[in-house]
Amino acid sequence: MMKSRSIVKTIAATAAAGLLLSGCSAAASNDDGEKSLTFMYRGGPDDKKAYEQAVSQFEQDNGVEVEMIQTTADQYSTKLKAAISGRQIPDVFYISPGEVQAYVKNGIIKDITEHVEGSANIDLENIWDYGVDSYRFDGELTGQGAIYALPKDVGPFSFGYNKTMFEEAGIPLPDPEKPYTMEEFVDVAKQLTKDTNDDGKLDQWGTGLNVMWNLPAFVWSNGGSWLNEDRTQVTIDTPEFTEALQWFADLQNEHKVTPSAGEAQTLDTYQRWMKGEIGFFPVGPWDLATYEDLPFEYDLIPYPVGATGETATYTGTLGIAVANSTEHPEEAAKLATYLSANEEAQQTLTDAGVQIPNLEDMAEEWAQDESTKPANKEEFLQIVREYGRPLPGDLTYNAEWYNEFFTNIQPVLDGEKTAEEYVKEAQPKMQQFLDSANQQAGIGG
Amino acid sequence: MSTITRRSRLHRQEHLTALAFVALPVIGFLLFTLYPLLFSIYASFTNWNGLTAPVFSGLDNYVAMFKDPYFLEAMYNTFFLMIGIPIGLAISLALALAMNRKMRGSTFFRTVYYVPVISSIAAVAILWQWAFNGDFGLINQVLALVGIDGPNWLQDTATVKPALIIMAIWKGLGFSMLLYLAALQSVPRHLYEAAALDGAGAWQQFRHITVPMVRPVTFFLVVTSVIAGSQVFVEINIMTPTGGPEFSSATIVWYIWQKAFDNLQMGYASAMSIILGLMVFLITFIQFRLNRRNQFSID
Repeated sequence: MMKSRSIVKTIAATAAAGLLLSGCSAAASNDDGEKSLTFMYRGGPDDKKAYEQAVSQFEQDNGVEVEMIQTTADQYSTKLKAAISGRQIPDVFYISPGEVQAYVKNGIIKDITEHVEGSANIDLENIWDYGVDSYRFDGELTGQGAIYALPKDVGPFSFGYNKTMFEEAGIPLPDPEKPYTMEEFVDVAKQLTKDTNDDGKLDQWGTGLNVMWNLPAFVWSNGGSWLNEDRTQVTIDTPEFTEALQWFADLQNEHKVTPSAGEAQTLDTYQRWMKGEIGFFPVGPWDLATYEDLPFEYDLIPYPVGATGETATYTGTLGIAVANSTEHPEEAAKLATYLSANEEAQQTLTDAGVQIPNLEDMAEEWAQDESTKPANKEEFLQIVREYGRPLPGDLTYNAEWYNEFFTNIQPVLDGEKTAEEYVKEAQPKMQQFLDSANQQAGIGG
Repeated sequence: MSTITRRSRLHRQEHLTALAFVALPVIGFLLFTLYPLLFSIYASFTNWNGLTAPVFSGLDNYVAMFKDPYFLEAMYNTFFLMIGIPIGLAISLALALAMNRKMRGSTFFRTVYYVPVISSIAAVAILWQWAFNGDFGLINQVLALVGIDGPNWLQDTATVKPALIIMAIWKGLGFSMLLYLAALQSVPRHLYEAAALDGAGAWQQFRHITVPMVRPVTFFLVVTSVIAGSQVFVEINIMTPTGGPEFSSATIVWYIWQKAFDNLQMGYASAMSIILGLMVFLITFIQFRLNRRNQFSID
């Protein structure tokens, strides 16, 4: 007994020493008294270029030095969490909406409401509500309450179609104002699925969708949902949900309007779309630069609608948060607002074709620009403004319950299991994960 | 008297220099091995999300582990993938035998087989991800030549593990082959000559001379491959980022990583690491014990 206690003491002492050691190097002031901040972000060369430019301007204007830490997209989350565990938290860093609850509950990020509202540096009116609201949290529900981060960008996941293919097949073009019903969509998709060179093999398909990124649009539009209002119940076992999932699986198994089984999760349909073999395909703002070179004309339309008659889709976002541990909260908040709302940085990123502008007036101008594809860029703005939604996993303490839904879904997509069987099976497992997430967050029963 | 003092001062200085040299790796060990190890043992008994201070929770994590079907499945997957180890060893021994002959271009082939070993695992994983692509992948194109309609390797629960095993064998071949080659070259020629005089055929020579003589290398390779095999992560994370269809390619380290960094369960992840560590230790210990019985020497 004595022995084990002394071991614990030793461990505690070692741990404390470790924390002290790491604390030393986090000293935030330079010799000359200039304040310095660290900014951790992820992204490709385009982001780097835009932010380096913006940050150096910020340094000049504010007499603050900013050290930038860049990682690749897939390493970012791991590195950031390791930094947090080691108490080496950067002053300003990217955050995804799904992390807000955990970071707020554990005191990692700062409530920056007072720095943002009524600040001269940022005009909230001109920033997408969706972007700002994604980082609000009132202690129970995300989406309302105090502001914990500002959007770096918003990512409306729109739907596109191959205009050239429609024209060649003599099918009337879809109306961007009046979305297809699910039946109409299947109908058109069937007409587009064919063997164009008569070799006995299909080489053109109506669509090719990915369950993880595209199923939500159809579930929501059909009136289904993963979660109830107060986010304590997994609601995938409703008829609305089941119907949409079955319809999604049937695209492949029943109607055969997508390329063969199993490919929904690979890049294949993406490559096929770019080769002009697919009629309907999702389009995100990050695709625009790549899609400039497509060998066909394309344009954006709303997703097909289910029982509610209202189109729906997912909209991603990435935020910029300020650490609670920062020694210069004022400057850190200023940097976050600057990066979120700085016109030049936004312009550089938009010109690079990787995102739509954060600033609404700039976005309007960009959408009107007829020199770039697609013509109906306005659809992106409508999504952000009117009908884009967050992924359900981003609304809770962690996304384990939501990921569980996709772990075992393949048999449904392959037609080996009905949607109804699956949701009955998956619901209790997901509920268990959700309960444990809510419990960790100290929310609900 | 004075000479003694001088000498001891000299000694002391030398002593200090030596200590300074020794200190570096020792401090490194304490800081980067022992401390994290002790801390993770401690963390495994806590409810810790990695964001704030851990809260002691006794054996909760360990109890939860054995009720967690994904933990058991990840363990199963990890050990299943080790099927590649004996296959890889057999192939690399065969290759080493081939390379050991005096033939044209053997240096070239040795180099070719070694290239995968020095390539980054991330690059190799991406390469094979393409090769395994159901439609355009190299593997299925080759299979199509002989009239086989290949599966969508990485998307099918039945083929994802074989696919990963094939890749792992390919990647490790060069290293095992090189070690075998070195071992083969140190086998005394006179053993073969004596055996040949006694009328032993090629198979018998291989079975009774070559295999026993390269056994230390086999042992070394088995031990290190099992340890490495229990820590497979990068290729899983790149080739099947969601743990594969129905969790069928999720290895234990991948699952630990997911729990720790995606689901904020650092304490639980620590507990799983501890169990994994104990298992690897136990397996290695057994291997050493078994090997002791097989030791022999020639005088």
